[in-house]
Amino acid sequence: MKAKVAFFDFACCEGCQLQVANIGEALLDVLDKIDVVEFREVMSEKSGGDYDVAVIEGSITTKHAIERIKEIRSIAKVLITIGACASIGGVNGMKNNFELPEIKKYVYGEDEKYFDSVPTMAVDQVVKVDYYVHGCPMYVPEFVTVLKHALMGIPYKAPEKSVCTECKLNENECLFDRGLTCMGPVTRAGCNSWCINNGNICYGCRGMLDDPAKTGQIEILKKHDIPLEWVTNKFNMYNKAKDVKENENE
Amino acid sequence: MVRKISIDPITRLEGHGKIEIFLDDKGNVKQAYFQVPELRGFEVFSLGRAAEEMPRITPKICGVCPTAHHMAATKTLDNLYKVEPTETAKKIRELMYNAFMFEDHTLHFFFLGGPDFVVGPDAPAGERNILGVIDKVGLDIGKQVIGIRKKMRDIITTIGGRVIHPVCGLPGGVSKKITEEERLEMLQVGKDGVEFAQFALKIFDDIVLSNDEYVKLITGHIYQHNTYYMGMVDKDNRINFYDGDIRVVDPDGKEFAKFKPEDYRDHIAEHVEPWSYMKFPFLKKIGWKGFVDGKNSGVFRVAPIARLNVSDGMATPLAQKQYERMFKVLGKPTHHTLAYHWARLVEVLYAAERIVELASDKSITSDDIMNIPTNTPVEGVGIVEAPRGTLIHHYNTDKRGVLTQTNLIVATVNNAAAICMSVSKAAENLIKNGKVTDGILNMVEMAFRAYDPCLACATHSLPGQMPLIVTIRDNKGAPIEVLRRDR
Repeated sequence: MKAKVAFFDFACCEGCQLQVANIGEALLDVLDKIDVVEFREVMSEKSGGDYDVAVIEGSITTKHAIERIKEIRSIAKVLITIGACASIGGVNGMKNNFELPEIKKYVYGEDEKYFDSVPTMAVDQVVKVDYYVHGCPMYVPEFVTVLKHALMGIPYKAPEKSVCTECKLNENECLFDRGLTCMGPVTRAGCNSWCINNGNICYGCRGMLDDPAKTGQIEILKKHDIPLEWVTNKFNMYNKAKDVKENENE
Repeated sequence: MVRKISIDPITRLEGHGKIEIFLDDKGNVKQAYFQVPELRGFEVFSLGRAAEEMPRITPKICGVCPTAHHMAATKTLDNLYKVEPTETAKKIRELMYNAFMFEDHTLHFFFLGGPDFVVGPDAPAGERNILGVIDKVGLDIGKQVIGIRKKMRDIITTIGGRVIHPVCGLPGGVSKKITEEERLEMLQVGKDGVEFAQFALKIFDDIVLSNDEYVKLITGHIYQHNTYYMGMVDKDNRINFYDGDIRVVDPDGKEFAKFKPEDYRDHIAEHVEPWSYMKFPFLKKIGWKGFVDGKNSGVFRVAPIARLNVSDGMATPLAQKQYERMFKVLGKPTHHTLAYHWARLVEVLYAAERIVELASDKSITSDDIMNIPTNTPVEGVGIVEAPRGTLIHHYNTDKRGVLTQTNLIVATVNNAAAICMSVSKAAENLIKNGKVTDGILNMVEMAFRAYDPCLACATHSLPGQMPLIVTIRDNKGAPIEVLRRDR
């Protein structure tokens, strides 16, 4: 029997869904094993949709979204998050740098009271997540790997090592040596140092390592005379949502 | 009346196009509104961050056209740091940008808006999509569409690292050079693109222009608005998507203004309406006179027909021929909204020819890809022509380059007033005495699909049709009919 796979989007740019649409051949391996039953937000979910695997894009930013993701979790046997927004909160988390009423007022003016909004959270800050595909946009080879693992029912976890380990293998010149900052040393590997290979810096879109080499990172910053706050601010571009404490939005 | 709309400060769109049509007591249309995305969430949460992050942050506004924001942000940084990119860097950027325009425009013509014509305006909604197009023009052609779009995306990947959220743009240049081998590949893709674009124009000829009914539809008054037009031109007043001055022509086609990107504030102001969180840009020197067209109204339009209307011609030979042909049929300037589809294909041809020009230049593989910025930043403005029209980024920073003010006027917002007017006009002509049929959905949809409004939902709906809710309300504001097309 084919697994029924449903895609759902929350607050995001929907670029990860486009990544899926653009995969092409790599997806052919698994395509005959799955049945894509939803590829956008649907109405049927409230009445109890019928799917085995839920693939979630986007972060949780409203009370309505909290209810909706819980509903999806209650139906799905397996839940996969794709992209930084769903997996770690992503750029939407920058909202949390501001007081909520302040940002609502800026965006909606006097009508802010009509709008439901909560501090941005990653999906796993609300419900259990079984598999993560990281990146902004999500890294396609990882998506295929994760999907295969999910269909076989075996666990998958992104490597617990820094982007630097992959960057070294790609023989890139260290950006700190070029007088730049880079989030590579504390960011989870698995993207094959995508951005650095293309001449830009790592912004930590795959999230911070569970156990980053803090002392080592502080040493690097000291050596290059880079203020810590400058780096944490950069790191916040993707990782701010994780500051929201459990149950804070309930 | 208060309507509850579930839109969050950081969600860039609702997931549905939303049209509200209000009827008077006789059951005729009083006003129609079309709502499009709001972006101020990004403007506020970028404050306090380093300006250099903007080419990485702003593409996240939209996964469909990230390259446009990436490029506008990068050019704003050039202007902010007062650093001129190297000649090679400019060529690399423009090459990538034209590949993006080609790819995005063909997506619209074959998958989104074009099927209205290719398959037919009267065809069932379920057939007006890429599959319907393939049915009509053949599977081989369908494969060609998919093939050429993939090759164009490969150009973006080579230069920008990836199609979605590219990373190559830096103030003063680009992050990475291109090799001779890559140049030759891009040259070949450009040539294939020229072939394909001519072929697409032929499809348009065979299916649309040779059909009197369609031509009547295009040139009919339901889809016409005599407005001002705005677009970017090079020093010879020919279209350029990547760089140049902004030119505005009046409804008679005469030059009304021409200005540098930095001076956009002198020419564009934004009107606010209580029913929308979206602002409506208008020509400052004419003023806001409401949702009306004509020479006395400050409403202007952007995107393909606007760009062709403001230019004196195309910078490449084959596109120039098509440009002349289009205006011979429609007259210049053209005010026909449905002509957007035609103009879009002329631009596809130009983009491909421009890729060939840029990739033929061997100096594009030079190592000289970056001028390091050394000036203290204060303020910067950057403008590009996005597929959907003029896109403006504007940043102010402190002396460390930390953002203190940002303003983004995106392409679809520039067209917002005109889109509302087009929707209204179509509705007014089709709804009489409270009689509403499903057919209206198609006709109203065509009015705004011509603009290719940037609702990512439009491109994500695999059946290739825009999810849409039309609410028709009586003179008290109570909904009397809701037409929805979610899937």
